[in-house]
Amino acid sequence: MSGDLLSPHMRVFAIAVLLVFLGWVMSLVRHHRLSLRDSLLWLISTLAALAVAVFPRLLVWTARALQIEVPANALFTLSFLYVLVNLLSITLAVSSGSARVRRLTQECALLRAELERLKAQPAPPAGGGGR
Amino acid sequence: MPDPLRVLIIVPAFNEARNLPGLLRALREVSPRSDICVVDDGSTDDTARVAREGGATVLRCPVNLGIGGAVQAGYLWARDHGYDAAVQIDGDGQHDPAYIAGAIRPIAEGRADLVIGSRFLVEGGFRSTFLRRAGIRYLSGFLRLRCGARTTDPTSGFRAAGRKAIELFSGWYPSDYPEPEAIAFATRNHLRLLEVPVHMTERLHGRSTINLWRSFYYLIKVSFALVLLPRRPDLLALNPPPPERAG
Repeated sequence: MSGDLLSPHMRVFAIAVLLVFLGWVMSLVRHHRLSLRDSLLWLISTLAALAVAVFPRLLVWTARALQIEVPANALFTLSFLYVLVNLLSITLAVSSGSARVRRLTQECALLRAELERLKAQPAPPAGGGGR
Repeated sequence: MPDPLRVLIIVPAFNEARNLPGLLRALREVSPRSDICVVDDGSTDDTARVAREGGATVLRCPVNLGIGGAVQAGYLWARDHGYDAAVQIDGDGQHDPAYIAGAIRPIAEGRADLVIGSRFLVEGGFRSTFLRRAGIRYLSGFLRLRCGARTTDPTSGFRAAGRKAIELFSGWYPSDYPEPEAIAFATRNHLRLLEVPVHMTERLHGRSTINLWRSFYYLIKVSFALVLLPRRPDLLALNPPPPERAG
């Protein structure tokens, strides 16, 4: 029954691709090129995709629950969601990153101005500081 | 009037080395007791040097932030140094500095927290094209409907802010065509808004950054911003006031 849904060839191919992808993400994390925090959504969603490839029955159940006639369409829907969710999480990260860059740039400009101001003042007496 | 306010004039500038000397001279003339703070928004020309020679404090942004980020840097400086009022005036010389006193007065008298300089309250001067005026009218109607802010010139970059507004804008300031959104944000946070006349001229040197496409983007972006306008108290946490850096 699940054999009609995904041919064995297809399943092996999907599992292989997902495993390679999973390995890639994990190696990126291990080499500190991707933070675990940012990769978590990828890892979880890829594991979910892997579960569907290994147990196609999950897909049939999902299709039935969503009242989708052809389980393959449930597959497309799910994969679209998978991309959408990951994309939104990236956009979120970019947004919060640029807000931080903006704030840091401002802080940098403020500190530069303070520094210039200090340099322009005559040097304080040696050993001074406390009052 | 009680004690005169400590006023900071914020001049956001991106590659304005040619317009700045004249502007700074005029600023010194009309308000010799105010401090001037030029925010050099990652310029590639001599803006910073020219500003320093003109007697201004220069905030040099290592990367270009856009007008919103630059202006906010100025408000942060005003907050950190305890200014009572901050006046925002464009670095391209299109706002007449003679109107600064009129913008500060309502703040000094405690009648307003945020003062907008409107080109439509004076006779003559630069009023922009018909299409752009239509856009401005649309934005001012939208602002009034959305949050009850009454202003005839919501895109004007000539503003005066009192302590409350300085504090608020230090905490959060919109980026990317920030002017109308800043008005909405201020009204939402119960600041009192007032409009005063300002005479505008066309910029002297260089080209304005706004063309037809950008005007269109401006309207779309600001419309969305106004529709989605949240109360945003959470965002204030991004820029907590410094523990001690007044001076």
